[in-house]
Amino acid sequence: MTELFEGYAWEAAWDEMFGAPGKPRLPNRGLYATLRTLTPADLDERCAERDRSFRDRGITFSLSGEERPFPLDPIPRVLSAAEWSQIEDGVRQRVRALEALLADLYGAGQVLADGILPRQVVTSAEHFRRAAWGLEPPNGVRIHVAGIDLVRDRHGRFCVLEDNVRIPSGVSYVLENRRTITRIFPELLASHHIRPVSDYPAKLLAALRAARPLNAGSEPNVVVLTPGVHNSAYFEHSFLARQMGVELVEGRDLFCRNNQLFMRTTGGRERVDVVYRRVDDDFLDPVQFNSSSLLGCPGIVNAARSGNVTLANAIGNGVADDKLVYTYLPELIDYYLGERPVLPNVPTYRLEDREQLEAAMVRIDELVMKPVAGSGGTGLVIGPQASDDELATAERSVRDDPRGWIAQEMVTLSTAPTRVGGKLEARHIDLRPFAINDGRTIWVLPGGLTRVALRRGSLVVNSSQGGGSKDTWVLAADARRDAAGDKPPSGAGNGCDRSRLGAALRLAPVGGPEPGPHLDGQQQQQQQQQQQQAPC
Amino acid sequence: MSWRIATSHVSRYRYASPVVASYNEARMTPSPGPEQLVLDSELRVEPSAVLFRYVDYWGTLVHAFDVHEPHDELVVTGTSVVETTPTAPSLAGEPGAPADPAAKPGTGPVAGSDDPGSWQQLRSTALRDRFSELLAPTSYAPFDAELAGAAGDLAAGADPAEAAERVVAFVHDHLRYEAGTTGVSTSGLEAWRLGTGVCQDFAHLALSMLRQLGIPARYTSGYLHPSAEASIGDRVPGASHAWIEAWVGRFVALDPTIGSAAGVRHVTVARGRDYADVTPLRGVYHGGEHVQLTVEVQLTRLA
Repeated sequence: MTELFEGYAWEAAWDEMFGAPGKPRLPNRGLYATLRTLTPADLDERCAERDRSFRDRGITFSLSGEERPFPLDPIPRVLSAAEWSQIEDGVRQRVRALEALLADLYGAGQVLADGILPRQVVTSAEHFRRAAWGLEPPNGVRIHVAGIDLVRDRHGRFCVLEDNVRIPSGVSYVLENRRTITRIFPELLASHHIRPVSDYPAKLLAALRAARPLNAGSEPNVVVLTPGVHNSAYFEHSFLARQMGVELVEGRDLFCRNNQLFMRTTGGRERVDVVYRRVDDDFLDPVQFNSSSLLGCPGIVNAARSGNVTLANAIGNGVADDKLVYTYLPELIDYYLGERPVLPNVPTYRLEDREQLEAAMVRIDELVMKPVAGSGGTGLVIGPQASDDELATAERSVRDDPRGWIAQEMVTLSTAPTRVGGKLEARHIDLRPFAINDGRTIWVLPGGLTRVALRRGSLVVNSSQGGGSKDTWVLAADARRDAAGDKPPSGAGNGCDRSRLGAALRLAPVGGPEPGPHLDGQQQQQQQQQQQQAPC
Repeated sequence: MSWRIATSHVSRYRYASPVVASYNEARMTPSPGPEQLVLDSELRVEPSAVLFRYVDYWGTLVHAFDVHEPHDELVVTGTSVVETTPTAPSLAGEPGAPADPAAKPGTGPVAGSDDPGSWQQLRSTALRDRFSELLAPTSYAPFDAELAGAAGDLAAGADPAEAAERVVAFVHDHLRYEAGTTGVSTSGLEAWRLGTGVCQDFAHLALSMLRQLGIPARYTSGYLHPSAEASIGDRVPGASHAWIEAWVGRFVALDPTIGSAAGVRHVTVARGRDYADVTPLRGVYHGGEHVQLTVEVQLTRLA
């Protein structure tokens, strides 16, 4: 191996670049060929250019009050056309099923009447909104934007770790990462046929326009609603508004009158037809939800109910990405679509079921215990890494509130070469593809956000050390070099592996809320673990 | 025998200084159902506002409106003429049921239960799931070991229908009706410890006990004509009232405040898990401090 890859250590994980030491997988050959010509000093130089690029464009990441360049690892992640095709099919299928589920739960409730999904699972979900019942979106779309979190097991199979259909974030980094990698590795971009990601804002705008109320004209007024500059994702809100060429507004810029929504402008009031809102349900409308919220707009839910404005994403979507509802997705895909899941779930125990609870508690030291809701100060517990005391505490918490927890098999996350201390080492990664539903087609952004755990062996990014991300390449199907090998392993029906070597953990969100000061080690751990719930 | 009752419910909000933007939802007009026929119903708002009507998750008719004209008084008036019958209440208020029960799938008899209303049926997984929202504790109707014990003693030897009646009679006997001792946010358990309360507290206490017995039960709000011997045409002062409906193979309406079944003197406005789901008027406004609320209910037996 070359200097950069010297001592590249294997874990018993699927490595994205290498099938065997020194043997890059087919889609990675071009990337590897270029990287092996680089010295660590060359790579340092490219990284300095990367940092300049982010600084020049004002893209920083706020960490403990300090603005730093956004943590982009310089080594891209490469997916073949065939691998991507499976992900794309799987994500589309997932979104179709989740849309059908939401339409049903906020309407006839057939899936409940048919006994496929217990009513109690739905009504006890933290984000089930009774105020959304009977509220029908104009073009039937509730999930305008989805982020489906995938991990790859040690056999190379992708599986779904979590659905995000409330306010999935991170797409702005996908676009900025590509710009930056293009700037620092022009030769790589020239030698690869990579599917572009720059269509995203246009696709999003088209989907928002397609969701306009029936009484809106053909030129609907679309706005992006942000909680404001103090929100950790504010950069993304302003980025998307700018890219789409629409207004970025806060709650105080909006008002409702007779169930119509208006925006205050210097030229007087202006009707608003579609709101791409990045404000959580709870804060969106003080008439319906948190009555002390100033971040939203009173009356906006009934404006949506009366068909005068479209909220994207719809309110109440969080019931569909509830961690317990997640466990029913394979059945729901069959129920609504009559299909088998393209992408399997990570095997998960439903702890309200007595038998499953006991089966999970017997091997709690092998499993990952995850709180269903991101609230309450409780974090996830990684069985093999927890002390006996921690396990005992976790078991008590679970037994006290079985609805509040799921138990998941450990999945060995795949690894990819990542720059650490000037050289490349294997680090664990995940993938969040983004999908946009315009009511006619579900478009999946080719690539998505790859997140990296920067510490060796770690499956959780410690955001105080800077969470990482990677530019994610999807090679075009016409790239001949991609045609022959590296077919994605079939994932359907097999489930993800049950290896004990790693944990099926969500990597910490890029741009997530920063931990507060003065946390001791234990609290800090919880803080970070809560952050894992944060991007949605 | 059915009654025909005219209702008038006026809520008057006064503010210390003018309010400029007020967004509200009113649940102040009766909902149609097999137990009552709504012949006429209207909601009026002063200053005037455009009303938007919808039926909520619990089957309650809601009027939403916003007022932008500066005002130091907001008057919301709900009026109706309702024909009440002694029929058992409908499933219309079942969670997620639309106003038209015929449009709701899955509301028929529970499959596999040949003994409707038995403890066995109430304990079945299917039924507990179907009514999970009406079996869970709420902040107004929390669970409590002492209450569970009292409810358990009452239920001994009784079938669910009889147990529900006993619970309601127990609440009637053990709470003294006394206005001003509890507030709008008092829980049924707090009222139990005080030993006094108003209809809302009686209802919440009964809900706590019924749900701990495994009997699905919901909060019902509306009006109660005070006199069983009412003369036709006499207009009498009334008040907002609350009672409960328990599911014992079917819903039965029971009024713990008067200690008996609800009947022709009861006009149903809203249903839910507890008071929070049926609040007559809720909303937000910008402007002056709220200084006074007066509520006036008048009931007239027409036939």
